[in-house]
Amino acid sequence: MAEILQQTLDNGLTVLLEPMPHLPSASFELLIPMGSATDPRGLEGSAAVLRDWLFRGAGEHTSRQLSDALDELGVRRGGHASVEHTTFSASLLADLLRPALGLFADALQRPHLLDSEFEPAKALALQELASLDDNPVQRVFVALSEQYFASGHGRSPYGSHQALTAMTAEQVRQDYQQRVSPQGAILAVAGGITWDELLTAVEASLSSWQGPPPAPLEVELRPTRVHHLPAETAQVQIGVAYRGVAPGEPGYYEYALATAVLSSGMSSRLFSEVREKRGLVYAVAAVNRAVRGLGYTLGYAGTTAERADETLQVLLYELRRLSRGVSGEELARARTGILSHLVMQGESSGARASALARDTFLFGQPRTLMELRRLVEQVDLDTINAFLATQADQAFTITTLGPRALSA
Amino acid sequence: MLPATFHRLTLDNGLTVIGEHHPHAQSFAAGYFVTTGARDEEAEIAGVSHFLEHMLFKGTERRSAEAINREFDELGANYNAFTGDERTVYYGAVLPERGAELLDLLTDMMRPVLREEDFAMEKQVILEEIAMYDDRPSFKVFEAGNRLYYGAHPLGNPILGSPESIGALKREQMLDYHERRYAADNLILAVAGRYGWEEVVGQIKAATRHWQAKGATRRHSPLSGAHGIEVLRRPNVKRMYAAAYALGVSVKDPRRYAAAILASCVGDELGSRLYWALVDPGLAESATLSHDAADDLGTFVGYLSTAPEQAQEALKRFRQVLVELPERGLTEAEWRRAQRKLATGLTIRAETPYGRLMSFGTYYQATGEYLSTRESVDHLLGTPLEAGQAILKSRPFDRLFVTALGPDGLTI
Repeated sequence: MAEILQQTLDNGLTVLLEPMPHLPSASFELLIPMGSATDPRGLEGSAAVLRDWLFRGAGEHTSRQLSDALDELGVRRGGHASVEHTTFSASLLADLLRPALGLFADALQRPHLLDSEFEPAKALALQELASLDDNPVQRVFVALSEQYFASGHGRSPYGSHQALTAMTAEQVRQDYQQRVSPQGAILAVAGGITWDELLTAVEASLSSWQGPPPAPLEVELRPTRVHHLPAETAQVQIGVAYRGVAPGEPGYYEYALATAVLSSGMSSRLFSEVREKRGLVYAVAAVNRAVRGLGYTLGYAGTTAERADETLQVLLYELRRLSRGVSGEELARARTGILSHLVMQGESSGARASALARDTFLFGQPRTLMELRRLVEQVDLDTINAFLATQADQAFTITTLGPRALSA
Repeated sequence: MLPATFHRLTLDNGLTVIGEHHPHAQSFAAGYFVTTGARDEEAEIAGVSHFLEHMLFKGTERRSAEAINREFDELGANYNAFTGDERTVYYGAVLPERGAELLDLLTDMMRPVLREEDFAMEKQVILEEIAMYDDRPSFKVFEAGNRLYYGAHPLGNPILGSPESIGALKREQMLDYHERRYAADNLILAVAGRYGWEEVVGQIKAATRHWQAKGATRRHSPLSGAHGIEVLRRPNVKRMYAAAYALGVSVKDPRRYAAAILASCVGDELGSRLYWALVDPGLAESATLSHDAADDLGTFVGYLSTAPEQAQEALKRFRQVLVELPERGLTEAEWRRAQRKLATGLTIRAETPYGRLMSFGTYYQATGEYLSTRESVDHLLGTPLEAGQAILKSRPFDRLFVTALGPDGLTI
């Protein structure tokens, strides 16, 4: 399994590479620690607007020229604005990495940020925010985050309608100066390129980038509560959040495996109890999420109103039952699943670039596939059940959306 | 690019097995491609293909539903299944040393027992899935659009069926459908990654020795193809969604590359004509065009979503971009950009055995031909702009059909 090369530049940018020498392709992810959690007060949605505005003309290119130049290189662009960070990602032919990176570097360091492009960028952010109105699953999770976090982590990555409408180009330009910075930023690359090639490309494009350090961000939770959003939907949406283990803290891998027992694969507890045995839902799941300093789990089920109370009861029962421990067979299946998925992740440049960026952000350093393998294999029945026993008094924040409130 | 070897064999029972061997792959992917889907259903069994796809996970003579789920997970598999208009696919990816077990499981699943109690339980799950999609107008607009555009042509059939058709469906109808459509000669087993071809063939021959060919066929009917616009208003929908349709070319037509590049020039998510006309100015959240090459015909499929108060202007511009194409033409530069983006997409997908399985398996099933990644990329990059201009000359977008879905009071 592959090694990871890394270096932090003088300007604070961390550069990582997982070489995949047999591939003609490569992927990269540029992560900057700018997200909705650190949007200035009154400018909720600024990071989302910036993400788009940055690419509307930069360096020697107009908006259209920049887009055309990236297309000319055949770059597939992606990424998103989230709570703690904004990512810009790309997949491409490996030998085109250098010019592509140059264009991304222009957008970050030399964006035009023209008034004439600000209103369209804002209009697009408002479109994306409004699209939530017809997306009950997204809506329930945006609302659940607001209920769960007391800190800025609870803010919607889509911003607020009021702030987006009122925001001015000058305010967002100032925000750009503060938050689009190499300090704390990460460039993760995976694919068919060498470390020397990458460093040369980075030296040419990103080494002169300068900016201030990111503002500190502490995570804080609200007291748990149950909350309902009335909506005339066909299905009731159920979202549950509860505390887990933060990245890098003791018990992290026990926690990861325990959630896999709960929800990874069709033999997992939630799938078999809620869907297979009772036919209550089409979709039910629990996934681990993390922000710096906190790990938490999000549970989900969607079902029609007449079955919603029972669904919530079974879901909560299974979440609570987990603290009573897992069986050796369950642990073995969860472990096999994770180890196998790691090997498959190692075949995809996009999956690895994204994992490297995320790990470096959350853990402070990347995890090689080899190291992950060892950490997952270390978890045994004693350690996982000892960990789970400490989780017995778990409290849940619950948000539901649908025609009526549920009896939890 | 790694050297890959193509394998192919049709067994005596009619089952075709194909493989793309990558000696250095770290995983193995396998999938049964069944040539059946919503278009092969009569109205009274609408949704049976998709319901049956769920039931294949519910047990065989040798395995219970729990055993199937457990075995997939014990193999550490990435696995699932999906149902479309023209195909139903069951697939899994595992480490190469678990390949034989994965094949045993998938092959056994193709001969389900369809127990009555499982049938009743899974019906509830299907009804929940239908309810889930009822809350997604971006899905509903295509369900309605397909029905209205294709009309009597079976590509208009709804994949999920309806609560009524699913509610009324009997196990015997599903058994009969399975008997007809899952015959050995209507299935293709595709494998990709690291495997031993002789071992795969030996195992599959033995496991399917009782399977039979039935000579299943597919109805091909002419398409009249609606045009104009149909506006649907629903009280619970907050935004406006539009699905647009125009005649394209079939998967067997050599012009399919030109059609795909043309669609990307006009309607890729970023940097296309529709992007600059609608998304860049913030007039729409999304405005795209793709080309769907089906068995006997192809369709250019457009999508637009925006606020109801902007719907009229957005739809006007959307239509204008398409209708003006023959006069305005396409430039060499935009053609080349679209070619390169599509080529990158193919190359990235080829990184994993699973990605390759889906690419060459789907194409082989539709055409009976194999294409390596290299050949696909070469075809794509070798397609000249003139081929796109030739499609535009037939003015497919003059007969555009649009279904718009929005809230009460939506004016178009």
